[in-house]
Amino acid sequence: MKIDIVTTRNGVRETVAYDYRPRQEGERPMILDVLLQAQATALPDLAFRYGCRARNCGVCTVDVNGRPRIACRARVRAGDRIEPMATLPVLADLVVRRDGIARQLQGRTTPDHRDPDVNAEAPEAYHDLTACIECYACLDGCPMHARNFGDDAADAAAPDAATGYRWGNPFSLLKLQRLRLDPCVSEDGRQAALDAAIDLGLDACVGCKGCKCGVGIDLKGGVVGELLAAAGDRVPGDGASAS
Amino acid sequence: MTIEVEWRDYDVIVVGSGGAGSAAADAAAAEGARVLVVSKDPIACSDTKISEGNATVRGTVSDADTEQVLSDNLRVSGADLPLPALTDAYAKDSRPAYDWYRAHGLRPKINQDRKGPFARPLAKGGHTVARSVGHKNAGVAFSHAAWDAVVEGAHIDYLEDAWFLDLAVEGAENGAPGRVAGGLVYHAASGTLVAVRAPAVVMASGGLNTLYFPKTDTMRGNTGDGYAAAARAGADLVDMEQVQFLPFCLTAPASYEGLLVGEPSTASFLGVLRDRHGKVILDGVYLRTRAECSAAIMRAVADGRGTDDGGAYLDLTANARLPRSGKGFMRYLETSMPSAYRTARQALSKPAVRCEESWEVRPAAHYTMGGIRVDATGASVGGADDGTAAAGLSGLFAAGQAMGGVFGANRLGSTALTENVVFGLRAGRGAADHARTHSRATGDDAFRSLIAAAVAQFGQSGDQAPAHLKLELQRAAWDCIGPARTADSLNRMDAVIDDLADRAGRAAVPDYALWNQAFIEWVELRSLLDVARAVTAAARERDASVGGHVRLDRPQVSILAQPYSTVVRGQAANDGVLRFHANRARRPRTPAMRLLAMRLKDAWRKVQAKVLCLLPPALLDPILDRRYRAILGPGDAAPAVSPGGPAAAVADAAE
Repeated sequence: MKIDIVTTRNGVRETVAYDYRPRQEGERPMILDVLLQAQATALPDLAFRYGCRARNCGVCTVDVNGRPRIACRARVRAGDRIEPMATLPVLADLVVRRDGIARQLQGRTTPDHRDPDVNAEAPEAYHDLTACIECYACLDGCPMHARNFGDDAADAAAPDAATGYRWGNPFSLLKLQRLRLDPCVSEDGRQAALDAAIDLGLDACVGCKGCKCGVGIDLKGGVVGELLAAAGDRVPGDGASAS
Repeated sequence: MTIEVEWRDYDVIVVGSGGAGSAAADAAAAEGARVLVVSKDPIACSDTKISEGNATVRGTVSDADTEQVLSDNLRVSGADLPLPALTDAYAKDSRPAYDWYRAHGLRPKINQDRKGPFARPLAKGGHTVARSVGHKNAGVAFSHAAWDAVVEGAHIDYLEDAWFLDLAVEGAENGAPGRVAGGLVYHAASGTLVAVRAPAVVMASGGLNTLYFPKTDTMRGNTGDGYAAAARAGADLVDMEQVQFLPFCLTAPASYEGLLVGEPSTASFLGVLRDRHGKVILDGVYLRTRAECSAAIMRAVADGRGTDDGGAYLDLTANARLPRSGKGFMRYLETSMPSAYRTARQALSKPAVRCEESWEVRPAAHYTMGGIRVDATGASVGGADDGTAAAGLSGLFAAGQAMGGVFGANRLGSTALTENVVFGLRAGRGAADHARTHSRATGDDAFRSLIAAAVAQFGQSGDQAPAHLKLELQRAAWDCIGPARTADSLNRMDAVIDDLADRAGRAAVPDYALWNQAFIEWVELRSLLDVARAVTAAARERDASVGGHVRLDRPQVSILAQPYSTVVRGQAANDGVLRFHANRARRPRTPAMRLLAMRLKDAWRKVQAKVLCLLPPALLDPILDRRYRAILGPGDAAPAVSPGGPAAAVADAAE
């Protein structure tokens, strides 16, 4: 089974046609199986991330034919093209620099606002958001995240993964909305979370057709819609469009 | 030389960012220490994250669940290898450790009557009391808490994509370990070596289970880096032969090899293990420990009665076949281990998922019970028996899987998520305290040879690929020091390690600095070779079967024998290779009368279980039906765990 793997070594990008050999009769391999076999045979220095092989850790996301897929649980077909996620800077082969996404929340998630009485029951919606495995598939097509690299970045500092991107993304919004749903977070803490979402560029969500989650969380309704509704007039534009 | 060296100064380095590392970093920072977290994977992406999300919390069901009871449970199930000081510390801190997760956002279902979390209704095997608290979204919920603890306050520095290469040590002389001066890190994302001066280091770097890949259900990052770095720096390791293999992991399809599909408890009242001929090799499976089940499978395989893929059959059909209780069983199977059952549902045939057919299973490495030898503050210790910090590597602390001594020969279900924070907090405080009271390194000499060795590796020409040597090592480790061992297999392992170490010296590594995968593979290969030697040395010293260490050529150790832990200490030979010297540390035995009483009680439960199986279906069905109702509670217990089904997930399997 011929698969194209895009490799980047020392800054040089090329496409390698890899011929996957099935290990069992009738095998229906995953993308990760192709990468593991390639590393075990023709491409020993192939760089890619993986962790649990069971869709729980979220680190193996790559683009397959231009769309983000969790490599350990996405079936591969002959002719597929495996590339690093297009939404983040490439470090080597299929490895992208991920830390700038989360780093922007450093200091913005306010532990001081948590109630020491932890025996409060969280609403179902809180647990829905806790299902996030941080696979970053949600960055695909996100206009807020794109600002870090596009024309809108002109008025901000240049995108810097090492210190955290200026503009947010569905993951950072999910983290902030989760704080707003936590029964142990004070009213001040909830307000601070909303302020942070607005500061990270919530206005980019206005009119957006909506982000898609790698594990099926309702980001559009459960995160963006809720934040826009809470922000009200503080976010200019048609606040109803994404709710 | 193509790689730059950056120097940094901190009070405490924490290696790893899962449950143990995040707790250690939080505790050290709260004490005012300047903390750097070093993590190969993204923050909080660890075995904690991919766990089943059950945590041991003493006293959730009954006030009679005293510290003594919990501490005894740990020691007895660990075959008296655990240090009493460590199991006592665990029992004392289990609630505060759990509340640390809650302070960072973990939200269980609350029992308003007892003002605390609900425990799962059945005591997991080896626990005499129900005290395992389950959570929606399993370990992922815990990883959010760990992530929040590192990120939320902006008072902890961290590096992701960062491989901790070695401890810098000074003052070691006459065979005695010295003191920590810091550590050398390869930061792959920036393509630099980071030399970090710090008087204290907490190893919270997870286990070594990747030594058995793909026969493991844990994170890829478990390459034993913490043990190897500690041993190279002169620290003692304890009970390294004790690797926990979960018995019920998949042999096929290939994409799912090694992944977990069940625990002894999920075999339920009528589940049995069968060999390739259909003969029962273990009954009463739900009352057995993980080690007993794994041993039964591997003994059948060794006798030539295993399946073609080297496993056995987990037969749950009798549970599902009964007309009334069968439904309760299926609900129990779906809800008690949701993430494992999800894997089974994706990987197995439809009749197998409905338990109309047996599941082919084989053990897979899950947890490293041995590790860096520490005291109850998490500080490295050396010397006889319990050991003392004065004889340990000064400034080195460990927590989580990286430490040994708390679980001994067997770890009970749900205990790890509590342990990592109990000792993470202790090690973090201990490290901060150590940094306050001990002067900084006197110079940078301790770093020079480490830096030179790392720099020299970039641009090495050779005819060997580290990634391929790693695969050879992994295959040999399964065969020789996996869930079944013999004197002969240990000798074969030594030969394989020597050969691979020799060829690792001829590894090809390109000279670019930014995310150099060949260098990463070489670094991890070096760790895996060192820990394979440590496991082999400890396994040779443990000359009988106990817990996770199964010697096919030796009997089970008598419960009345004097228990001991194996201690190994590495010493670099003239050829630069780390060799291990093994010795024994005495452990107190649980009084014989209490052990016998426990054995009798256990035997009685197994007899009852056998009698139950002999009942005709018409009598058995209503009894089991009542039992499942009691287990599941009103509304048949937990609803589906993940909010989004696979169909809703854009990145999931495209069927």
